[in-house]
Amino acid sequence: MKTVTAFRCKKCGLVMYPGHLRCLKCNNREFEKIEPEGAAKLLTYTVIEQLPWGIDERGRIIGVVEFENGVKAMGVVQAEEVSMGQKLQAAWEPVRYIAGEDVYGFTFYPA
Amino acid sequence: MKAVYAAGVGMTRFGRRDEVSLVDMMADVGLQAIDDAGLGEQPVDMVYVGNMASGLFNHQVSVASALVDRLNLMPAAADRVENGPASGGSAIKNGFLAVASGYADVVLVVGGEKMREVIGPKATDVVACMTHMEAEYVYGVTLPAMAGMFTRLYMEKYGVTREHLSMVAVKNHKNGTLNPYAHIQMEISLFGIYGHPQSHVTNPVVADPIHLYDCCPVSDGAAAVLLVSEEMAKKLDAKPVLVAGVGQATDTHTLQERAEPTDLKAVRIASEKAFDLAGIKPKDIDVAELHDAFTILEIAESEHAGFFKKGEGAKALVEGKTQIGGSLPINPSGGLKARGHPVGATGVAQAVELVWQLRGEAGDRQVKKAKNGFSLNFGGFGNNVVSLVLRRV
Repeated sequence: MKTVTAFRCKKCGLVMYPGHLRCLKCNNREFEKIEPEGAAKLLTYTVIEQLPWGIDERGRIIGVVEFENGVKAMGVVQAEEVSMGQKLQAAWEPVRYIAGEDVYGFTFYPA
Repeated sequence: MKAVYAAGVGMTRFGRRDEVSLVDMMADVGLQAIDDAGLGEQPVDMVYVGNMASGLFNHQVSVASALVDRLNLMPAAADRVENGPASGGSAIKNGFLAVASGYADVVLVVGGEKMREVIGPKATDVVACMTHMEAEYVYGVTLPAMAGMFTRLYMEKYGVTREHLSMVAVKNHKNGTLNPYAHIQMEISLFGIYGHPQSHVTNPVVADPIHLYDCCPVSDGAAAVLLVSEEMAKKLDAKPVLVAGVGQATDTHTLQERAEPTDLKAVRIASEKAFDLAGIKPKDIDVAELHDAFTILEIAESEHAGFFKKGEGAKALVEGKTQIGGSLPINPSGGLKARGHPVGATGVAQAVELVWQLRGEAGDRQVKKAKNGFSLNFGGFGNNVVSLVLRRV
């Protein structure tokens, strides 16, 4: 499954997503490209009742997760019950429709 | 650095202002500030306009050029300064630097935004454009959603409750009824928005755990400050207030990349810088205007700016310390919660409130004997923050 490209600093090992041209910790400019791996743990979330123009929904759950290899990312959560620390499984699906095209992103389902 | 004074201020009523354009609101407050300072026909050297998104909200750009034309301030240098919801604070910082460096003697700083020209969901989208396009925006995240995720972490770590958040709203709405410029002139009760069994109807969820009364309104409005050098301040028949400290700091674009997401590093550093420049400590502040775009932020900022220990902001609120008449009144103007939040105008409106408070001209919301005032303008979700210390001289 193609998802996002995250970066691991070749000098200090810091994992970053999204990318930066200089490491957030040591300013090094060389990175190993990595992909999020393993189960995802929900770090925080919200249920949005008032969504922006372009998303005709109510009650969309958005959260930030941490994957087993340290990549942290935001995504849509599809679950009946949500709780802090919950284990989730990532999928790569359309999350928004902009200018006639599907935009893909993370959707997280209960593991 | 040379001393910089706020010699004059001006402000429009915040709210829904269908009858007036963005540039006309800014021209109105600009002229008020010039007249308040008694500048007369003397030239203005530079103009800084704090505005976040006139291009998206009003289909108009180069608003600083439009403003100098409307006020006949040519050939003054004129720039629009954009730093999201801290555009106003950044405009003041730029004006401060221009005078402090000796490059300019008279700088007009105007903050303005006209957000109600678009419908609610579009305003939400425009504001969401400040999030990371690839890692956040595409998911439909909104600023209330960012605040919701932050609030949940803060609640878990420091025991802040929904009742605490509601108490911030109740206090600031009460202060807003004393401010004729405030967008919302309506007192609310803790029972009505939190205790009542049907409070979920009067105070619905926006982005759980954030409810309607945890959010600032979407507003139109403008505010202005005329900054001058010491030589010019002496010439003017005004009551100048010293801009004693200015600080600005940044943090990561996304919340997820902060090692400790409940630590508002940019708030801490910007505040420390402003206090250092002013040569005072947080305990010396008599009145503060904080960026309560969401109720959690007033509590978190009051801690990160150094007024209360980490995790004790809610306690200070419950004890009444932050009310007008308390040991540190916060947001006597009503804050963003009640005065409103025309994004580019807010940082300047905070400074205007401090000038009125320090001159003793704040009417029914006057904080007695205020000498040092502090403001904090929070851009993005804490990724670009500007703090000011103003002092009565």
